[in-house]
Amino acid sequence: MKKYIALRFVYIIFVFLIISLLMFMLYNQIPTDPARMELEPVRRELKPAEYQELYLRLREQLGLDDPLLMRYGRWMGILPEKNGSWNGLLQGNFGYSNFYKKPVIDVIPEPMFNTVFINIFATIMALGITIPLGIRTAVKKNTRFDGTVQVISVVGYSVPVFIISLVFIYFFAVIFRIFPVMGMKTPGTNYTGLRFVVDRLYYLALPLIVLTFASLGGMTRYVRAAMIESLSMDYVRTARAKGLREKTVIYSHAWRNALLPVITVVIGWFIGIFSGSVIIENTFSLNGMGKLYIDGLNNLDYELVLAMQMFYTIISLVGILITDLSYGLVDPRVRVNK
Amino acid sequence: MNETMKKDKGFFLTRWAKRLFFGGGRELSFMEEEALQSPMRTIIKNFFSKPLSRIALGVFIAIFLFVIIGPLFMPLDLSYQDNTQKNVAPGLNMMSVPRELESNLRTIAPGTTFGAGLDKEGKVYTWGYTRITETINLAAIPPEVREARMVDLAVGYDHAVSVDEEGKVYVWGNTRLDQAKLSKPLQEALESGEPLKFKQLEAGNQFSAAVTEDGRLFVWGNSNLNDVRRIKKGYDTNIKKVTTNINTYLVLTNDGEAAYVGTQSNAFSKVPEAARTGVVDIASTGFSNAALKEDGSVIIWGNPAPAERELPPHEGKLVRIWGGRNHYVGLTDSGQLIAWGNNTFNQSVVPALSEGAQVVEVFSGYYQNYMLDSNGKLTKWGLKGYLLGTDHLGRDILNRIVNGGRVTMTVGAISVVISLIIGVIIGGLAGYFGSYVDLVLMRVAEIVGGLPFLPFALILSAIIGSRLTTEQRVYLIMFVLGILSWPGLARLVRAQILATREMEFVTAAKAMGVRENSIVFRHIIPNVISVIIVNATLSFASAMLIESTLSYLGFGISPPTPTWGNMLTGSNNSIIIQQYWWRWVFPAIILSVCTICINLIGDGLRDAIDPKSAER
Repeated sequence: MKKYIALRFVYIIFVFLIISLLMFMLYNQIPTDPARMELEPVRRELKPAEYQELYLRLREQLGLDDPLLMRYGRWMGILPEKNGSWNGLLQGNFGYSNFYKKPVIDVIPEPMFNTVFINIFATIMALGITIPLGIRTAVKKNTRFDGTVQVISVVGYSVPVFIISLVFIYFFAVIFRIFPVMGMKTPGTNYTGLRFVVDRLYYLALPLIVLTFASLGGMTRYVRAAMIESLSMDYVRTARAKGLREKTVIYSHAWRNALLPVITVVIGWFIGIFSGSVIIENTFSLNGMGKLYIDGLNNLDYELVLAMQMFYTIISLVGILITDLSYGLVDPRVRVNK
Repeated sequence: MNETMKKDKGFFLTRWAKRLFFGGGRELSFMEEEALQSPMRTIIKNFFSKPLSRIALGVFIAIFLFVIIGPLFMPLDLSYQDNTQKNVAPGLNMMSVPRELESNLRTIAPGTTFGAGLDKEGKVYTWGYTRITETINLAAIPPEVREARMVDLAVGYDHAVSVDEEGKVYVWGNTRLDQAKLSKPLQEALESGEPLKFKQLEAGNQFSAAVTEDGRLFVWGNSNLNDVRRIKKGYDTNIKKVTTNINTYLVLTNDGEAAYVGTQSNAFSKVPEAARTGVVDIASTGFSNAALKEDGSVIIWGNPAPAERELPPHEGKLVRIWGGRNHYVGLTDSGQLIAWGNNTFNQSVVPALSEGAQVVEVFSGYYQNYMLDSNGKLTKWGLKGYLLGTDHLGRDILNRIVNGGRVTMTVGAISVVISLIIGVIIGGLAGYFGSYVDLVLMRVAEIVGGLPFLPFALILSAIIGSRLTTEQRVYLIMFVLGILSWPGLARLVRAQILATREMEFVTAAKAMGVRENSIVFRHIIPNVISVIIVNATLSFASAMLIESTLSYLGFGISPPTPTWGNMLTGSNNSIIIQQYWWRWVFPAIILSVCTICINLIGDGLRDAIDPKSAER
């Protein structure tokens, strides 16, 4: 097992390097000139010849004319800079955001906090609804209740999230005026303490409902399938033959076994809470990771985008690893290092 | 021979459809059926035995035909936009003249998306979509207008103007931009105590013009937008007629001269030499002016569309002309009515006159035409309205849904085909050859599968797409979607092939010396085709979803090319959601119904192929 995990880690690093190289190459397609940008403030004070000389020297210093792989190494932090210092991604230099005028590392915390806050709530709510619903539909298989839930869940995962958002905004924010249309807090207020939390929750309620609703379809079907599989097993028949109460059969015998595949998916979900929903955050103007990403693309703030892209990649790779490992953890019959 | 001929009777399309879905050949008795049914037929039978699958397939085929055949009837004009038609609500009542007016008609003033009329008692009527903005509604006729007896009426882009028997001028609608601010000469004339007798009233884009019986001309309105500040000297008397176009006006003097009497110089101000004398009638569309000469020839200048210069063949010579938004209507001395110019809304197709009737009067404006004949019958042609409303640039939503659906479906289909080709080849090779090939290919699949999909598609589209034309972006999106979504399918195909390649028929093929390529693609793949079909169906739906999501976020296919996704861009504000609901409801419904149907078909197919899964 340890050997397997170590192997997987090596493999993740390898994949990460390949993806980051791809991203770096893509990023280099954008015509930018850091040397010229650095010299822009002093440009007027210099004579053209001096400027040209300084410019060429700076290019040389920054290593802008070196081959792509060397520049990639410096950016990643696996090769030293021209002056011998190490200053790359691995040393914690995530780049400089041109739009916010501060290092990327200082831009990210607030949106990250908001995203995690939203997603933890949404995930808990979604699980709280889908698991009981999935079990119930499995137990009442082929009844009218089951059919209705099935149809709704198909609708749930077929309809794009932004349409669900628009419909929910229409009903809850425009027609009934229960929730605000968009935003994070009441404009012009500066609450602290409990009032801040209440205000924040009031503004986040609608996005949370949409997020929960949008994730219902897939998960309900997944729980239902696992549960039906489990209910058809011999041990369930044995348990019933022993005369156990139906509740005990369903929750102690069947559900515990159905839990195994479900848990792996749930773990994958929890990894996703850091990345945020690009669509929902943009539709509701929430200051989260997804919105930061889109704004970065729109504002041509590519160093920020690149750093976030690396972050997303790590999240995704670690998510896959943990999902794979959790198969073995929750079900000893699955031996991952086979 | 005779018997087979008999059996083949029936409508050829039903026979085709039968052969396509159920195969040809003779009918089987149920004993034989059990023995002879091929796997494909079992799948089809299972699929069609479920009502939900049948309905989903039917609805999907209907939508598919709608977006494939629809564009033939509703061609897309990417450059089309018209400010006068923006945010029009769904409805087909733009020319629904009230019945009581129709029988007692004095005049009609056709407007942008509405109409106004005056009956012989001087009562004002309005119909159609009269809400110009949230607060301005031309149907809200002021009480003083309702009380007075009107003699003439004209409507502009967002205001209406009328005069009563005593020569008093009324303006309502949008009056914030000087539409109601009468010019100094007009004020003086009104205050002189002598009642003005108006001969003609015209209204354009936020300005109005009036001609009196004794040939005086008055213009007033928004002078920032329109050339109405001053009238050229010598042209404020002796005027016979005035017409208005986008933001200028044209007059006809009693001497038969068509003259531009504003002070600006623009495309309209250079009146052609031929139109300076012997003109009997003038007309204006939005972007051109026309003068009709005594000999029946028409001179057109300004910025006309090519079609506005092409008079259709007609008998006799023209004696009168009228202008709409981008078409002209003319009457010949033999009583024939002709129309030419733009024909998007059938505004240039003149309906036939009823037997023995003569044209009495024509009212043309924007996209509407009304014709009163000597029997007192009112004939209408042109734009009735928009079934699904229009968007913020005045484009027909129905047209964009039809054409956008074609784009969305094409992008979805081609990206699925790309991912199918890559996925089947890579999965097939990895599964069949195993060992190093498998290792390398599956690692590649894992790298691509490990990319966070939406962020990666966004960044690709943003960086590469910024340098591409709109059309190239469509291809870019297809390839990005196709190239990022194959790993799932490759893994599936590999797993299937791992299971299949140990079967006897593969061993037999090997023993017979069949080439390996041929074994993979001709013996094994056909056996896993059903799984591939199900996967392709489901990924078609998800490709459509992702394309529309990208377009919604503004990183997919960019306007003016319509897709169901980018029609919803910017819909997330309360004004559009509530006031202009038709702009998001219709695209959202058709996109949702389409993806739901495709997913239901995919589910149905999977259940049909693997009856065990149906129990889940």
